[in-house]
Amino acid sequence: MASPTIPGNDAEELQRLRGEIAALRLELEETQKSTTQYLQNVAHQLTAPLNAIKWNIEAIKDEKIPIPRKKSLLSSIYSQGTILVHLIKNFSLMSNLEADHELGQFRDQPEIISPLRLAINQTGDFQPQATESSKKLEVRMLTFDRVFGDDSLRVVKNLIAQALSNLLENAIKYSYTGTTIYVEAITKEMDGESWRGISVVNTGFPISAAEIGQLQNRGFRGNAAKQKIPAGTGIGLYLADKVMRLHGGVITANAKGSETRITLLFPPSRIVRQAVRSDP
Amino acid sequence: MRKILLVDDEPWLTDGLVAALESRGFQCLKAMDMTEGVKALMEHTISAVVTDIMMPPGTAFRKTESSESGFHLIEYIQKNWPRLPIVCLSVIADQAKIRFLKKRGVRYLRKGETPLSTAVEVIVAVAEGRIVRLPS
Repeated sequence: MASPTIPGNDAEELQRLRGEIAALRLELEETQKSTTQYLQNVAHQLTAPLNAIKWNIEAIKDEKIPIPRKKSLLSSIYSQGTILVHLIKNFSLMSNLEADHELGQFRDQPEIISPLRLAINQTGDFQPQATESSKKLEVRMLTFDRVFGDDSLRVVKNLIAQALSNLLENAIKYSYTGTTIYVEAITKEMDGESWRGISVVNTGFPISAAEIGQLQNRGFRGNAAKQKIPAGTGIGLYLADKVMRLHGGVITANAKGSETRITLLFPPSRIVRQAVRSDP
Repeated sequence: MRKILLVDDEPWLTDGLVAALESRGFQCLKAMDMTEGVKALMEHTISAVVTDIMMPPGTAFRKTESSESGFHLIEYIQKNWPRLPIVCLSVIADQAKIRFLKKRGVRYLRKGETPLSTAVEVIVAVAEGRIVRLPS
């Protein structure tokens, strides 16, 4: 049977559509490839601490290992547990944030918290992880006195705590051994207003100027970061950025040589002239 | 004291292994990338190397892809310290890569699936020369 003839214009249209289909197919393949890679990374991130916990438990049952050593293995289990909880919270947060929930749709409502206590509590959670990596974590309390004084923040505590945790976790991962990671308060003038924020400053693998603008993109990981820690989800700063936007704030990133400063900046509308009595 | 070199960019994941090996009379040296691993091999007399695959290459091997640097480290060790036994402790699932390790006489232990007691048994036997490297 003879194949039907297609008029000139239709043939051109058909050709164009074929080209479009080929391009879309290629795009789909790329997306599937990166999704597989992403899921493999996530699986690694989740299984690595679990494997460490399993071996530590086995080691604790080993009669040849002395008791003081077993105590340090227990600390290691605690630390791995903290990492896991933090990771799982990130994934849960991602599902809420990607559903484009407004701040009011979250289970927790904004409350008044002390920025200094928030910094101290989150830093405390990551202290064992920092110590195990031969790094120090320090909250510069005087900067909080100077920047916030008796003022507090009106925010969803768990969301901001998770954003700050993401910054701390990255800083521990990507800083040089033997260095100190600082958590400090800063003020920045934006649009004629005074914004206040919490910065995490670390010395480590440099981030290029081209990469700075992409840090908040979902799944993005800088070249040095990928070389240093091959497995990673690349969602930490993405989520922190989303959390800050929900609060009308922003996240800023600056790099000078090997020093990187990532800041959670709050607009004046989130600052409350009121001291907090209870723990955040 | 016999020394075992562990090359892994997440050293806290092997805390249990280190405790078990040290309680059996071995000294464990930790290296967090390929460069640190090679440096330790140059400075110490090592009885066995336990290495991960996915880890940073470090400053001396910048061009090495981090997802493969363990393989490069194995090749480097076998070229420069041909008699040194190597155990690969990783999560690779690619059978071709596992065959590559076997062919080179490297024992492969899968992280998360190998019980600690088995890993300790194999590493100790390898370090004591009770399990010899298979000819490639």
